Amino acid sequence: MRTGDYKQTYGELVALVDSPPVWLWSAVAVAALIVAPYALNAYALSFVTIILITVVGTLGLNILTGYTGLISLGHVGFLVTGAYGYAVLVSKYQMHPLVGFLGAGVVPAIASLIVGAPSLRLKGLYLAITTLAFSFIINTVILEARTLTNGARGIPVQRPEIFGISFDSDTAFTWLCLGVAILTLFATLNIRRSRVGRAFVAIRDNDTAARVMGINLHAYKLLAFVTSAFITGISGALYGIYLSFVSVEGFPFLLSIEALAILIVGGLGSALGTVLGTVLIVLLPEATRLVFSLFSAQMDALFSTGAQELKSMLYGLVIILFLRFQPRGLVGLWHDIRRTWVHWPLRY
Amino acid sequence: MKKYLTTASLLFASALLVGGPALAQQGITDTEIVIGDVEPLTGPPALLGVAASIGHKIAIAEANSAGGINGRKIKYVLEDDGYVTARTIQGAKKVIEVDKAFAMLGMSGSGQSIAVMPVLEKSGIPTVIDVAPVKFLWEPARKNVFVVGQSYEEGIIHLVNYLAEKNPGKKWGLITQDDDYGITVRDGFDSVVKAKKLNVVYSGNYKKGQQDFSSDMLQLKDSGAEVFLAGGIIAENIAMMKELEKLNVKPVTGIFWPGRIEPVLKLMGPAGDGIYAVDYVEPFAGEAGKAFLEKAKPLVSEAELKGINRYTMTGYAAAKVLIAAIERCGKRPTWACTISELENTKNVETGVMAPISFGPGVRFSNQKLQIMQADAATLSFKPVK
Repeated sequence: MRTGDYKQTYGELVALVDSPPVWLWSAVAVAALIVAPYALNAYALSFVTIILITVVGTLGLNILTGYTGLISLGHVGFLVTGAYGYAVLVSKYQMHPLVGFLGAGVVPAIASLIVGAPSLRLKGLYLAITTLAFSFIINTVILEARTLTNGARGIPVQRPEIFGISFDSDTAFTWLCLGVAILTLFATLNIRRSRVGRAFVAIRDNDTAARVMGINLHAYKLLAFVTSAFITGISGALYGIYLSFVSVEGFPFLLSIEALAILIVGGLGSALGTVLGTVLIVLLPEATRLVFSLFSAQMDALFSTGAQELKSMLYGLVIILFLRFQPRGLVGLWHDIRRTWVHWPLRY
Repeated sequence: MKKYLTTASLLFASALLVGGPALAQQGITDTEIVIGDVEPLTGPPALLGVAASIGHKIAIAEANSAGGINGRKIKYVLEDDGYVTARTIQGAKKVIEVDKAFAMLGMSGSGQSIAVMPVLEKSGIPTVIDVAPVKFLWEPARKNVFVVGQSYEEGIIHLVNYLAEKNPGKKWGLITQDDDYGITVRDGFDSVVKAKKLNVVYSGNYKKGQQDFSSDMLQLKDSGAEVFLAGGIIAENIAMMKELEKLNVKPVTGIFWPGRIEPVLKLMGPAGDGIYAVDYVEPFAGEAGKAFLEKAKPLVSEAELKGINRYTMTGYAAAKVLIAAIERCGKRPTWACTISELENTKNVETGVMAPISFGPGVRFSNQKLQIMQADAATLSFKPVK
């Protein structure tokens, strides 16, 4: 009789997934996302696109906050820098979109060195405030660098065409976002199981012990910032393309808070949790609207005309409920369900 | 057999020609026609979004009480975007794809309208924008998107020209917000400064959301400015005027239409008396404004009546123009016909602004501007003759 889920080899311990059904379900999910544009209308598809873009950004934040334990309240700064990195290179200087995406990653990565440097001495709340300040400073820099960024006027961005493939339609753009999201997911999963990933987690769990083990705190903390900012910047570029217009106003501070909420709800430090958290947080208001509209048309109208206030309340409520009843997030809930399934009728 | 087939084909073809387009067009049933709108209804910009939506409601209620559009009642579908660009895009997609709107109104702030333009263009839905008239929306002209209003640049040029003529040889001061709106105000101001060689002694810039203007106003006072262009919107202009009152200086002051709403005067108190404003909609203290308020009373709720401001008038005018265009299309309106009729809009009277016209390739109504002055005693803006 099976009595537990034991890893017996080093290979099993660092495997991307621990069972073949996970590959199967993942393939089914990807296939469903590929055919989704044919089954959904433009409104429903916009949720899929937003989820995919958000997954990329929050996976980036997960490297910094989830893996390394460095709290960032200013990740929207990297998002907006990435969007401008793409818009300036592609829309202003007519460079190839792939160069634009590279710029969208590299520019925030460089910026992250500036905000990452204080992280070598700061932790917790102090670091969070430093990153928050960064997001305000970067907005001012963008507004003042008018010759490059058009200042407050913003930069219109076209949907890209890469190697003759146009991503102008909503369908094609969703596929582009899907491709980037899958690549990012694999990248972050691989980082987590590598030497670098283990060093990040060691820093998160106890940085003094990590140092004693020979981990170079300065180098790894900066690496976490750079990697996180690079990925978030790519998400920013996709978000800018989705908006078709990049301006500071399009990237409100609330996006940083939403990203942190996703990590808390999904489960800190877990790629699966990040994906589940994103799906829940993005779809929560719409799902609630759908449920309430079944009871009354007035409730539906209330969600339409007071949508943003209700959304904020829902986010707050969900965060409180998760912190109180399921602090390990959705991924913790999933692990509990899986354990119950495997060990039933035994409790453990 | 051949005869039957020919007859059947002819009948089928005529059915397609007569009933086809109307049946195929979304947002229309035998009894109803859907008009959609996306506005900021929550958060600070709700002041303009809610007011504009009330204007749409008044025009729609007016049309519905007169029997609707050729017998079809208008259903108004409103979405809140909270002034967040991504949600404006999603809101527009919902209204077009899920609610199946026949036409659109409003479309939130300037940045939001710009971002939502590809969605509107791709869908081809007839749209009349009324909240934030910025050049990008009509240059280049989009087939299905029409804009009612006047550009910010023209507005500020008109105001500065007026103040310059009334105050020759005086020293000028200007303060603007660090965003798209602020840049537009500054550009308009600079063009008149160059043309009229105005003596600008103070030129400031403030960060959006700034509350304390004590040092800015002290600098303005020290500069000796006699004519002051307050480039804030609502709270900023109130704070500036209060600060000037505290410093015991009262330059000739001009404000722009986004801040020209009556509650501002109440909050400014005596400090707001005599300030000049520019706008393309009628002031509520004038005959046209009073008539509009009387018209609105039976059509909206008590709470909505309190939310009326200048944006209600812009919303009302845009909705009137759209409804009139759909009406001219007769019993079976289509998008193509509505767009064509919007293009044919010529001197449509709305009672709240100068007559509205579009034309072939002209998607901007280019409204006539007027100067008005605040009267603190009656908390109103009165037209300057």
